[in-house]
Amino acid sequence: MTSSFLPGYLDRKENLADLPKVTDVAIIGGGLLGTALAYYLSKFGIEVTLLERSDLNREASGTNAGSFHFQIALHQLTKNLTESEEKRLSDEVKLQLDAAILWDTLEKELDADLGVHFTGGFMVAETEEELKVLRDKQSIENKAGLETHVLTGDEMRSFAPYLAPDLSGIAYCPREGHANPLLVGPTYAFRAMELGAKIRTNCEVLKIEPLDNASPYRFKLKTSRGDISCNRLVNAGGAWTAELSAQLGIKHPMGLSGLHVNVTEPHEFFLKSMVQHIGRRLTLKQTPNNTFIIGGGWPSRTENYPRRYSNYWASAAGNVAVAVRVLPILKDVRLLRVWSGVWAYTKDFKPILGESEKVPGYHVAMVPTGFTLGPMVARTLAEYMHSPANKNIIPKEFSVDR
Amino acid sequence: MQEFDLVVIGGGPAGIAAATAASNHNLNVLLIDERSTLGGQIYKRVGPGFEVKDSIKLGADYLRGEILIKSLSKSNAEIMLETTVLSVEDSQVIVVTADNKYDSIKYKKLLITPGAYDRPVVFPGWTLPGVITAGAAQSLVKTQRVLPGSRIFFAGSGPLALAFPAQLSKMGANIVGIIEAAPRPGFVKIFRIARSLRGNLDLIRDAFFYQFHLVKSRIRIQYGRIIVSANGTDRLESITYARVDKNWRPISGTEKTVPADTLCIGYGFFPSVELFKILNCEMSYDESRGGTVVQLDEWGSTSLPNVFGAGDGTGVSGSYVAILNGQIAALRIAYELDKISEKTLFNLSKSIRKEVNLRKKFQKAINHAYAVKSGIYQLASSETIICRCESIPLKDLLPIIESTSDFSVVKAYSRCGMGLCQGRNCQRQVSALIAAKHGLDLGKIPGTTPRFPAKPVLLGQIADSSIRDEKYFIDEQ
Ligand SMILES: Cc1cc2nc3c(=O)[nH]c(=O)nc-3n(C[C@H](O)[C@H](O)[C@H](O)COP(=O)(O)OP(=O)(O)OC[C@H]3O[C@@H](n4cnc5c(N)ncnc54)[C@H](O)[C@@H]3O)c2cc1C
Ligand SMILES: Cc1cc2nc3c(=O)[nH]c(=O)nc-3n(C[C@H](O)[C@H](O)[C@H](O)COP(=O)(O)OP(=O)(O)OC[C@H]3O[C@@H](n4cnc5c(N)ncnc54)[C@H](O)[C@@H]3O)c2cc1C
Repeated sequence: MTSSFLPGYLDRKENLADLPKVTDVAIIGGGLLGTALAYYLSKFGIEVTLLERSDLNREASGTNAGSFHFQIALHQLTKNLTESEEKRLSDEVKLQLDAAILWDTLEKELDADLGVHFTGGFMVAETEEELKVLRDKQSIENKAGLETHVLTGDEMRSFAPYLAPDLSGIAYCPREGHANPLLVGPTYAFRAMELGAKIRTNCEVLKIEPLDNASPYRFKLKTSRGDISCNRLVNAGGAWTAELSAQLGIKHPMGLSGLHVNVTEPHEFFLKSMVQHIGRRLTLKQTPNNTFIIGGGWPSRTENYPRRYSNYWASAAGNVAVAVRVLPILKDVRLLRVWSGVWAYTKDFKPILGESEKVPGYHVAMVPTGFTLGPMVARTLAEYMHSPANKNIIPKEFSVDR
Repeated sequence: MQEFDLVVIGGGPAGIAAATAASNHNLNVLLIDERSTLGGQIYKRVGPGFEVKDSIKLGADYLRGEILIKSLSKSNAEIMLETTVLSVEDSQVIVVTADNKYDSIKYKKLLITPGAYDRPVVFPGWTLPGVITAGAAQSLVKTQRVLPGSRIFFAGSGPLALAFPAQLSKMGANIVGIIEAAPRPGFVKIFRIARSLRGNLDLIRDAFFYQFHLVKSRIRIQYGRIIVSANGTDRLESITYARVDKNWRPISGTEKTVPADTLCIGYGFFPSVELFKILNCEMSYDESRGGTVVQLDEWGSTSLPNVFGAGDGTGVSGSYVAILNGQIAALRIAYELDKISEKTLFNLSKSIRKEVNLRKKFQKAINHAYAVKSGIYQLASSETIICRCESIPLKDLLPIIESTSDFSVVKAYSRCGMGLCQGRNCQRQVSALIAAKHGLDLGKIPGTTPRFPAKPVLLGQIADSSIRDEKYFIDEQ
């Protein structure tokens, strides 16, 4: 692998340079989706300008835990596994598998160290009921083509001796892993710039104005750094996607939730695989810096932008209790810091992806498990924008107007 | 859950004085400190296992501290020692207690008096064993009665540059040299300080005694010199210093190297502002009081209702001002909780305020004479470690600083400030580099977002399995 790529080489002068007056594609948002899209579009030779109101990768894409979620997790489950639910989960697993294939080769594609490691992932169960869920989901996963195993008793204890010995069972997915979320987006941006994309930071899009047919351009964007007109517009605004679309009268079935994350001091490395819980909110992994990152969906306090979501100490106390229950050795490790990020999800858990039929030229790129799936959905959208005639590149359920 | 009229965080002079005064006005008071003894920084008690036979020998500070602590113990205030405050949220103080449990305590009013810590100064060799802060040296002497080394060199600035070495030398330390970065005080400065002397004779007396002691012991103070490097392979063997220009930048060609096994660094203090920041109190910047400080009104009230501050944790002003401001805040709190009338509040606070003003005048004159200059941030070479927790040298930070003026971005890409100290040591240094690179004002560069916990805590100490995550199914969102 090439040596660690330092996003410090991003060109501040270039990022702060004047906006071009016009562009073919304008992207709003410099998170993982926006930067990846800028890269894939530039690769097709399409003219792109990306507008980010602060610095790149400072919101969800720079605050997430960097885990690849390939096996079915707690947040995807409904109470009852009906047949239609099984179909939905199976579709989601297939999407996740496609993402896995992209991650396999991403470091090579971008010629940079992104901290990608496929180290396997555990999903633990404490009760017999939870163990049953593990077995049900295993059968859906295996049918969809994802390899997972369920282990119990002595087999479980010898496979993962550091986990609490009295767990009812664990699922293991060898495909899972993680990458460094602080590197992926900025690296995409850097490579996009090499291919000619214009990246502008400290540039907030204040207003989207559709232009009439007389104009050679479809949209005019009023920004904190002047106006820019474009043929095609992509909203990759993460948690602010719905706010931006509302300006054009488009509503999205989205919700926001502040997520709590804990990080500990370093500890001698032993935990190769990520650990999740099928019945409680937990994701847990040891990083290459030997610290533990503990999260899993505990809440944090909503605040208004630009203030960062603040934390509830109770989320720390509850979240680490689940972690200590599953991995008892953690009780003697110190918590250094917590943080939070705003997570945007869709109510049906599907991406919002593609071009609006109501407002031609207007595109949206938004996906809930966005670190895992972001690069892939960005690439899919770029393929569509490269050959818009090819409508079925993007599944109908992802429709922007739904 | 317990509830108190007033919870005081920090049992130094400010906290003790406030808790005593509030309790004497019939408030139900709790004082919390993470140490095992009261007294804070200046009145630090000797550690466990030591018995004080003759407290006069331990110096005037020790005696003054003893008097303060006695008056507190005569009051009805409750005291929780070995208890660390992790955070403040929703009118509750979150603590870890001596028996390793976490707890939350409700308050009507909160007074935060967490004191200050030594200003970290980054120069080649600053992480070598044998280089310590003056405060750490003093703590060793005060609590353990141990001298840090046998050839001690002192580098610093400000009135404590006199006090520290004199105190150490009194304890029998072999001080081989003292350098002060500020110039020898000239006529104007002496005049300014002298003019502010009224009401501060005790301070001058202290200073005089220190000076006298140093002269008597033939320890020379060299003015206008700054530390340039600490040298040695596995530990400190010698130190190099140089003359400075008016911005405290070393003048090349004036370097001198002397052998030493201990280097004490004392360039002033930083207020411990973590809790104020977690609470989102309005902050401002004042280099002469230690940098980032909380904004207070004349009563010590922060921008948030019911949250007060006093002492060096709100901006470094010394122990006398800490005591007085602690008392003023206590009076205001007693008034807001209807324990004293407005008239009493004004009468009692008037004389205290008068004294504060005199003390402050003196402090201002001192701060003016010894103001820290920008050269203090420019001592590192490209190999010098800036973030000692994560071992990050200057040369790794420069390309990132080139591309951003946001400390959080530098942190994200370099891991600078992510370790055990959470940036307490490196953040200001990095901000100064950013300020210099992008032509910004150091005080205007935002730090990282303040977060729980204010101090590291074992997961086992805060894990609470009674806090449940509601089940998290997507059709219930
Ligand atoms: C704490 C947390 C943990 C997570 N853990 C994981 C995980 O382990 N695995 C996983 O797969 N996913 C995880 N996720 C989800 C994942 O991080 C997100 O889905 C993904 O990063 C979304 O990327 P994005 O580019 O859409 O959004 P963002 O990264 O939020 O980017 C949107 C950008 O748009 C900019 N913007 C918004 N409005 C404007 C405007 N008007 N003008 C200009 N710019 C604008 C914003 O400033 C922002 O930079 C987690 C999320 C959180 C919060
Ligand atoms: C290292 C050092 C040495 C000094 N030496 C001298 C000297 O020799 N002569 C002199 O005149 N002045 C000296 N000073 C200055 C003097 O100590 C201060 O002016 C004075 O102590 C300020 O009083 P305070 O009450 O504000 O803070 P402090 O005396 O520092 O008391 C603060 C207390 O708060 C506690 N605390 C902080 N955070 C938490 C938390 N989260 N949870 C629980 N408890 C907490 C601390 O344990 C401490 O006991 C020194 C200062 C320092 C930092």
